[in-house]
Amino acid sequence: MNDKPTLNKTLKAVLYLLPALVIIVTFSIYPIVKSFFMSFYTDYDYFKDLVYARGLDNYKVIFEDPEFWKSLGNTLLFVVGVVPLSIIISLVIATLLNQKIKFRGLFRTIYFLPFVTSVVAVSIVWRWIFHSQYGVLNYFLGLFGISPINWLTDPTWAMPSLVILAIWKGLGYNIIIFLAGLQNINQQYYLAAKIDGAGAWERFKNITVPLLSPTTFFISIVSIINSFKVFDEVYALFGGQPGPAGSAETIVYYIYNKFYGEWDFGVASAAAYVLFLVIFIFTLIQLYFGKKVNY
Amino acid sequence: MKKIINLLFVCLLAISLAACGTSGKTADPEKKTTAEIPTKIDKPVTIEFWHAMTGGLEKTLQTMTEEFNDSQSNITVKLVNQGTYDDLNKKLMAAAKSHTSPAMAQAYGDWMQDYINNELITDLTPYIQNKTVGWSEAELNDIVKVFREENTWNNKFYGVPFNKSTEILFYNTDMFKENNLTVPTTWDELEKAAQTLTKGNVVGMGFENAIGLNFPTWVQQAGGKFVDVDSQKVTFDTAEGKKALTFLNDMINNKKIARLAGEDKYMSDPFTRGDVGMYIGSSAGISFVSSSAQGKINWATAPLPGDKVASTQFQGTNLVVFDSAEDQQKLASWEFMKFLSSKEQTIFWAKNTGYVPVRESALKDPEWLKYIEENPNYAAAEEQFDAGYHFPHLNGAFAMKSAFSTEIQAVLVGQKSVEQGLKDAQKNSQDALDKAKK
Repeated sequence: MNDKPTLNKTLKAVLYLLPALVIIVTFSIYPIVKSFFMSFYTDYDYFKDLVYARGLDNYKVIFEDPEFWKSLGNTLLFVVGVVPLSIIISLVIATLLNQKIKFRGLFRTIYFLPFVTSVVAVSIVWRWIFHSQYGVLNYFLGLFGISPINWLTDPTWAMPSLVILAIWKGLGYNIIIFLAGLQNINQQYYLAAKIDGAGAWERFKNITVPLLSPTTFFISIVSIINSFKVFDEVYALFGGQPGPAGSAETIVYYIYNKFYGEWDFGVASAAAYVLFLVIFIFTLIQLYFGKKVNY
Repeated sequence: MKKIINLLFVCLLAISLAACGTSGKTADPEKKTTAEIPTKIDKPVTIEFWHAMTGGLEKTLQTMTEEFNDSQSNITVKLVNQGTYDDLNKKLMAAAKSHTSPAMAQAYGDWMQDYINNELITDLTPYIQNKTVGWSEAELNDIVKVFREENTWNNKFYGVPFNKSTEILFYNTDMFKENNLTVPTTWDELEKAAQTLTKGNVVGMGFENAIGLNFPTWVQQAGGKFVDVDSQKVTFDTAEGKKALTFLNDMINNKKIARLAGEDKYMSDPFTRGDVGMYIGSSAGISFVSSSAQGKINWATAPLPGDKVASTQFQGTNLVVFDSAEDQQKLASWEFMKFLSSKEQTIFWAKNTGYVPVRESALKDPEWLKYIEENPNYAAAEEQFDAGYHFPHLNGAFAMKSAFSTEIQAVLVGQKSVEQGLKDAQKNSQDALDKAKK
């Protein structure tokens, strides 16, 4: 099967790749290139594709805009709040689901459900959970004597509620990936460790965690990228508003507002490119450290 | 071999870029005078009308459209529902970019501002003034003044008012009776009523989350002005602005006799649950309130209480025609707009949806008078025509609105002081206008 590549075979391969390539090029590559150029348009007619002047003004505008910095800050807060917690919680749940327990299949399905449910539907349920008067969360906290929290209407609690929703929503996907990783670990390591008298925690710490590191690494990269791009959750949880008094505005929300609200296409593109750069740098840092600690 | 793949990839990229880069036809900027527009449709024409009407509203619109289509030999109007207003807005922008705009659509005033700046919609003046297909002076002036003004840019008409609403006061008649209250007509009475109604789990007064957006109304009621259109100067930070925001802030945060819709999204839910005694909200919400109030509470509506003066903003969309449509389609659209805004149809529309009729003659029509006598709740909106205003035409209006509404909200959720909020609202709105001027 795997003989030398020939022109004929390559052409055949290209033919098979073509549909996917066409879709990627039109819906991903072209917009990426186009918005890169658009971020330099300073005087233009968007609808007639006429550009009269180019420059760096759009970047100047966003760097001088306090709202941009606020939304970038909120986004970073979101990433820091969601990613580590989400990884730890899903690793713990995945380890439990990997044991021989009753109704294992049922539990796996339950944990995966949030991931396949639409954000809007999920948000409606969470709006009710977070409701200050009628919500179950405050009822539950009330049992411990904690007075009701205005999760959705108090600007200080807007980001935490968003983080809670996002962690819960992301669990399913992370758990599935972790489960796959766990099942790739050879059982013999555990057996050998058991013979040596290692306890459950020792086994988890010295076998599971190191051997799972490529999976953890993959999940952390994907989660960070996705968390930086958070938008749906904000839009749906706060009913089309970026939180009370704009307290949960994230960078993609900022881009959305500039593009669809203010018709400021150049500034929106520039903000999108800044976001791209931020994610790019984060991913490079991760790759650098990832190489160092790969087993 | 790698080279060949690379080469192929580059070719592919180049082709697709070229394909996407070439723009279609160029729009002709020539403005037509009265004489130049066609006045006759001799071939069958189909026009698309993009709208955001759902549920009962959509059904009513369908009935009206069917009636229109039946009455015409050559014109067929195709209704296309584009989801929410937000979706409609996005799709209209995308359609304009890809040169696939519909002939007709619903549009808010601030969308129209953008459309006009980008030469996307047709100036309707030649159609209105045309002797054969246009309106007489009396027919034009029959359109309610505030709607006429809202659709006028530099003495040119760009739209015809369609589904129009304003803010009104909803109140719980059971609670009012229990407390021997009469309907408040001033701020003082409003505050007193809220004070009396607040007891136990009931909060006296409710405001929508969008109160920040409607803050200009409060400033104007206090006798102030929030922007000077000619000089493009924002004037929130004035004695009147302070009076308005202090009034709201006292009720919500200090005296705790009013609340925002908050997590309930819209006040209609807490109101019909009996959690608040009254609230200020859009007259377009009447149908929601009446369906969810059934069997729970008795209620009625009234015009907004005022302070120094009465003032209320009229909202809702207008009908616009896109410039990319063919001449025959434009004329067909104009015919349909004339139909929808005719006295009979605007009464039919108002009766079935709760929006206000857009013609003065409709308000005096026996059919309408009989209707509001039987359904007095629908009268509160149109009674306020004299106090009505529309949000002024400003470049950067969207950015300005979100700037001041965020600041006002920040005050009302207790994050900022009244002084700081007003200062920031003024500064950020001014920045938004100045930025758009560039």
